[in-house]
Amino acid sequence: MKRLYISLFILAGLFSGCSDDFLDVDQTDKIPVDIDYLNTDSKATELVTSIYNQFLSWDMSSFGWNGVTSIISDDADKGSDPGDTGSDKDVLDALTYNASTPSFESVWKANYAGINKCNQALNYLPQLDKVTPALRNRLIGEAKFMRAFMYFTLVKGYGAVPIVDRLANIPLTEEDKAMQLTRKPVAEVYDFIQKDLAEAADFLPEKSTYAGNDKQRVSKGSAYALLAKVNLYLKNWQAVIDNCDKVTGYSLVEDYSSQFKLEGEFGPESIFEINGVGSPTSDQKLGIGNYSVSQAPRGAGGWGWGFNTPTQGLANAYEPGDVRKNATIIFRGSVLYDGTIVPTTVTNPMYNYKAYSSDFSNLEFTDTNLRYLRYAEVLLMKAEALNELGQTGAAVPLLDAVRKRANLGKTPAVSQADVRTAIWKERRVELAFEHDRWFDLVRTGQAPAAMAADGKTFVVGKHELWPIPTFFIRESVGYSTQNPGGY
Amino acid sequence: MKNFIFSFLALLLLPIYMMGQAQAIKGKVVDSSGMGIPGAIVASSDARATADADFDGNFTINAKPGDILKVSMLGFDSVSVPATATPMTITLKEAGDTALKEVVVIGYGTRKKIDNTSAVSSLKSEEITKMKVSNATQAIQGKAAGVQVTSSNTPGGTPSVIIRGVGTALGGRNPLYVVDGMPTDNINNINTNDITSYEVLKDASALAIYGTRGANGVIMITTKTGKGKMTIDFDSYSGFKSALKKVKMANSEGFARYSNAAFNDPTKFSLNQPINTNWYDEITRTGTYSENNIALSGSSESVKYFLSAGNYQEKGILNGTDYSRTTIRSNNEYKISDRLRLSQNFSVTSIKNTPKPLSAFTTAYRQSPIVPVRYANGKYGVPFVNNGIAAQTGSQFNSVGNPVSAIDYNNEKQQTVILQGGLKLDFDITKSLKFTSQFNGEFYTYKQYNYVDNLAIWLAADPNRVVDAYDPKSNINTLTRNRDQYFNWNLSNYFTYNKVFAEIHDVEVTAGIEANVIGTREKLGITRKNVEANSNYWALDGVPYAANVVGYTDVALNQQKLSSYFARFQYKLMDRYLFTGTVRRDGSSQFSEGNRWGTFPSFGAGWIVTKENFLSNVKGLDLLKIRGSWGRLGNQKVPLNNQTFTSGLNYGPDSDPGISVDSAVDPNLSWEIVEELSAGFDIEMFNNRLKGSFDVYDKNTTNAILYVLPYSTSGLTQRTATHVGEVSNKGYEIALRWDDKINDNLSYWVGGNFSHNQNKLASLNNPSIAPIVAGNLGNGQNTKMLDITSVGQPIGSFYMYEYAGIDPANGQMLYYNASGNKVAQGALNEVNDKKYVGSVLPTANYGVTLGLTYKAIDFSVDGYGTGGAKVYNGKKAQRFSGENVEASLTRDFWTSTNTTASNPAPFNQVPVASTYYLESADFFRINNITLGYKLPLKEEGFINYCRIYVNAVNPFITQKFSGFSPEALGDGELVTGTQGVELDAYPSLRSFVIGANLKF
Repeated sequence: MKRLYISLFILAGLFSGCSDDFLDVDQTDKIPVDIDYLNTDSKATELVTSIYNQFLSWDMSSFGWNGVTSIISDDADKGSDPGDTGSDKDVLDALTYNASTPSFESVWKANYAGINKCNQALNYLPQLDKVTPALRNRLIGEAKFMRAFMYFTLVKGYGAVPIVDRLANIPLTEEDKAMQLTRKPVAEVYDFIQKDLAEAADFLPEKSTYAGNDKQRVSKGSAYALLAKVNLYLKNWQAVIDNCDKVTGYSLVEDYSSQFKLEGEFGPESIFEINGVGSPTSDQKLGIGNYSVSQAPRGAGGWGWGFNTPTQGLANAYEPGDVRKNATIIFRGSVLYDGTIVPTTVTNPMYNYKAYSSDFSNLEFTDTNLRYLRYAEVLLMKAEALNELGQTGAAVPLLDAVRKRANLGKTPAVSQADVRTAIWKERRVELAFEHDRWFDLVRTGQAPAAMAADGKTFVVGKHELWPIPTFFIRESVGYSTQNPGGY
Repeated sequence: MKNFIFSFLALLLLPIYMMGQAQAIKGKVVDSSGMGIPGAIVASSDARATADADFDGNFTINAKPGDILKVSMLGFDSVSVPATATPMTITLKEAGDTALKEVVVIGYGTRKKIDNTSAVSSLKSEEITKMKVSNATQAIQGKAAGVQVTSSNTPGGTPSVIIRGVGTALGGRNPLYVVDGMPTDNINNINTNDITSYEVLKDASALAIYGTRGANGVIMITTKTGKGKMTIDFDSYSGFKSALKKVKMANSEGFARYSNAAFNDPTKFSLNQPINTNWYDEITRTGTYSENNIALSGSSESVKYFLSAGNYQEKGILNGTDYSRTTIRSNNEYKISDRLRLSQNFSVTSIKNTPKPLSAFTTAYRQSPIVPVRYANGKYGVPFVNNGIAAQTGSQFNSVGNPVSAIDYNNEKQQTVILQGGLKLDFDITKSLKFTSQFNGEFYTYKQYNYVDNLAIWLAADPNRVVDAYDPKSNINTLTRNRDQYFNWNLSNYFTYNKVFAEIHDVEVTAGIEANVIGTREKLGITRKNVEANSNYWALDGVPYAANVVGYTDVALNQQKLSSYFARFQYKLMDRYLFTGTVRRDGSSQFSEGNRWGTFPSFGAGWIVTKENFLSNVKGLDLLKIRGSWGRLGNQKVPLNNQTFTSGLNYGPDSDPGISVDSAVDPNLSWEIVEELSAGFDIEMFNNRLKGSFDVYDKNTTNAILYVLPYSTSGLTQRTATHVGEVSNKGYEIALRWDDKINDNLSYWVGGNFSHNQNKLASLNNPSIAPIVAGNLGNGQNTKMLDITSVGQPIGSFYMYEYAGIDPANGQMLYYNASGNKVAQGALNEVNDKKYVGSVLPTANYGVTLGLTYKAIDFSVDGYGTGGAKVYNGKKAQRFSGENVEASLTRDFWTSTNTTASNPAPFNQVPVASTYYLESADFFRINNITLGYKLPLKEEGFINYCRIYVNAVNPFITQKFSGFSPEALGDGELVTGTQGVELDAYPSLRSFVIGANLKF
């Protein structure tokens, strides 16, 4: 017996002495979360690159996003065949959507997924002591800009939303749960956005310091331009002017249409632009998934699904001679800049030219970029703010600069009210299909009239805000409620 | 008493040879008729020696006259006699109650069945080789109470085994196989003829010694060793296979009539069709299969040897499916010294397989009979119709392919080689104490290719296509090659101590440690386009293939390690009060630090009531044993707990890929824990002619794992596996068998077993459960769901609309909505109107067996049935516009003049998943009929044994299901997949073989 115990004891001792090490298995099929792995310049950069990647995803930037920013507005119709709803594009077009309309769900989830990527980056970056400090600061600035940009999208669309500004504990604490489920007042969300942007502006470099592929990353100018836009929504006119003035080193490009072609990517006018890179196969997901093909001409001789088609109202909004009309709208039967003929047999009379990719026209991943902030808009924002502050005389030359590039003469508007209307209209034709129109209509109070002109009913007190997606209402019982208006 | 202990010891130390005094005691062991008993074991604990009787029953043992010789043999009562200097004749009486004198294999040791307190089903080689199937598990279907085996009829297929119910939703539910000490996932590589015993450990008392791997039950496989004179055993059979049940499809006329009604166009298809293709017949053939086995075995003073080679060949019923398995096994046991034995086993299995797409069965079901297999010009038929008949040009009327061309153009081969082997050292430290060290390893290598002739397939899809029109950017052909390999090993070291104190306290203690490594599984795959058509030139030397590579995968799956301590204490008081306690402590690399180690205890108790005085004189009652046990088990095959960086999309040319974290892990995630309380009794009556056992159990998975969804605003897109619920399995098992010998020429048996299991998801404590929608038919319809509403339902429940009959006004199918009204398809609400309508798994299964031996003839019949399960007729529910229907449907469907028809009016849309397609899966099948005849051969002859047999596997079935097979294994996934849905399913097969077994 004694020998048994002794032998057992020895064996057990030998074994247990190393057994915890024995059980430490290195992962080989996934990269485990580990600070050491991230603690290099290139890995730290990748943490932030993933945020930009979010903007290449279908949910973030493609079909649903077009639905809730363009098709919903007076600039675009559902398009395509009458029988093809594009899952919910018909109800978006008709303003008959509800809280279960998929596009509102996917846009919500995609933006919060992007915000998580920002929070992940902002959680790890300060801990990375082997990363070049200047780079680390820049990356923090980029993450804060991106987070602010996505909250700006959320607050414009949904109104009050939960402010998730850090990683939650696992499992969730009550505090974490409250953070994730409580809709914070709109003012608080805007304060949060402005704080992020102010910090981003401090940390970010000038655009001119970026070389090569870094051109696609956000800069100091991006932060100020977005701050200006945020203040435009808050009607803090002086802050709009101040921030616009800080957006320096940019200029209008001569040829408006060049900005929407491969050759014009990240030109002198570009302030914040999402970079799509075309690829012949679906393996390299370098473009915005199906962004181009979902909007490309449909039917015989076409090469796409034909959604998000320009309205006649938009076509009519262009003054005679405005070069932007033919740069924005593909007309049935026309010849595109690369010689492509759009046959008269395609389904719809007009398509979105800004989504066209010459090299990869019918593929899932194309080189089409999304332009979110351009210098032309900075000029128009400053003009609007000046005009609102009564400095109409100072506003008009800015407006005229944008018109001049479009081959138009000086604006005939003189009075403050006329100049206001002229600026709003200029925004429409300048920024068409750049995902701005719906928010602009709501912001400026033009929505009811504009919708009526487009033949649909904008319910005041309801349609100013999108419905909060049903799944969130369900999970946030006791914390949050639906937007008003009977969604 | 002493007798008992000795016999137990002798059995336990069965293979030990020990040197005693230098005197040879000679003798012969004979049975009651005076025939020698080869292989009888003669042991003397006084002399510490053992010997085996030779082929004639003669033995020589080194012992002193007067030493007590204990002589034993499986199937005989042991005797103890004092040795004499003169040659001895020892007569053994045949044991009446062999079943309870048997030794059963339990983890890390054996136990006499009568002393065992746990629930173990034990099957011997003759029971599993009688039925001629390639996987031993198939042969036990219906033979072990509480063990539900679902057949897989694909060549080389793996049957599914559920032991006492399913206790997990997302975790693995297959039992652990332990083959000669090697833990493994399946026994596809084991030749059934090499198996000597197949044991199913069922209750927690037996399973706790396997800790985190015990929750789904353990199947212990022991392979053969040699014994006695050298014997060559040759077994050979061959036979054929065909579908047990076919589904009668509409002929061309029926199709045309039905489809015309569906299209509301009486001239769409002519009722007088020139072609009437039976697609099922076109893609199938009579399957053939054969097996040849040869085994050489025997033993000498210092070595026991067993060497076997086997080959199994099957040509499946689906055209082109070929399967072949070759196995070689060498098991040897060496006596190194009196106290040291070394056992070695090694097996090599090579499996070659030519699979064909099982979707061909669904395609054959759906494709129209008016389409020819080929047109007169040799081109494949396609569903084009012109002037009402199938033609090479015209309008396409369905989107189903030609199943014959699908099979012809499928060019895939798989080859697997599995090496399994082990070394086991037994060292008798003292008479009572033994040390065992065992190392086992398994090396697996797999290679596969799949060649797709894209151009030919494109051409075959439309006879009007010409090569020149083929898109030059598309692949002309695509070749995918995969390689897969791993090495797993297991090392265990343990002591076994056995001693009887004061004559009444029989104690056995086993304690040890174990390390187990599931090695990194390395998978390499490459896909190339436009390779040479000739497969000989796919891998040329010096050719840079990089430009043609269109896909490349290189994965090394995480290694998994287990480190364990285990101990078992078995105690028998006064030969009647039994107690067993086991404990295992497992550490698993799968879980986070702090959650790695778990302890799994169990207790069992037994009382052999018939050994008590008050029952000793009860006439007719030979044995009554009451058992009870409690234990805790783990299931470590659960979703993993690794938080990782995900590599995002690439951003920008030449830019780095993005990385981030999009998941949260539950830091407390660990194995699922099952607690089981079980009780039962064994009974033998009427001179051991009637044997029975009864067991009840209550099994509860206390922390079942499901995925929960993080709140949408967390931005985490991955679900988190976490412990959220309880799964309950309650059931009982009854087994009864009557064996009788009427005279020396005639004996017979009849037996049966029945088991019932009630399974349910007992509770869920987290409302954010990510719904698991499954049972996908590939047409947008799903048939199963598991989410927060599933509490109270069985695991693997069907979830769909309830069919409410036909609308007499228009012949449309109607369904009940949530408020009980009958509504049409378009008015249904996905969220509110679906219901739980039954389970994939049966609540009852039963087996019957009967047989007789008359002189040299043996005859046996086995049957198996299940009750309480449902099966979804997926292929029927998948039928879409322009596709064929079953013949019965064309005979009776709604028309404006036949408004009371049993089938709805012909329709074109995709029908919603409903109970219209859900059928009872109850069936009873005769699994086996065997008739054998032993030739009267002389024992001295060169061939001393020859049995000729015929065997019918699954000759008859009675089933309620209208499809091919109520045993719809699907992808084998109960909760997350298509088990229970008949779609792309291989039919159940019936086979007939004739064979012979010879011994030299």
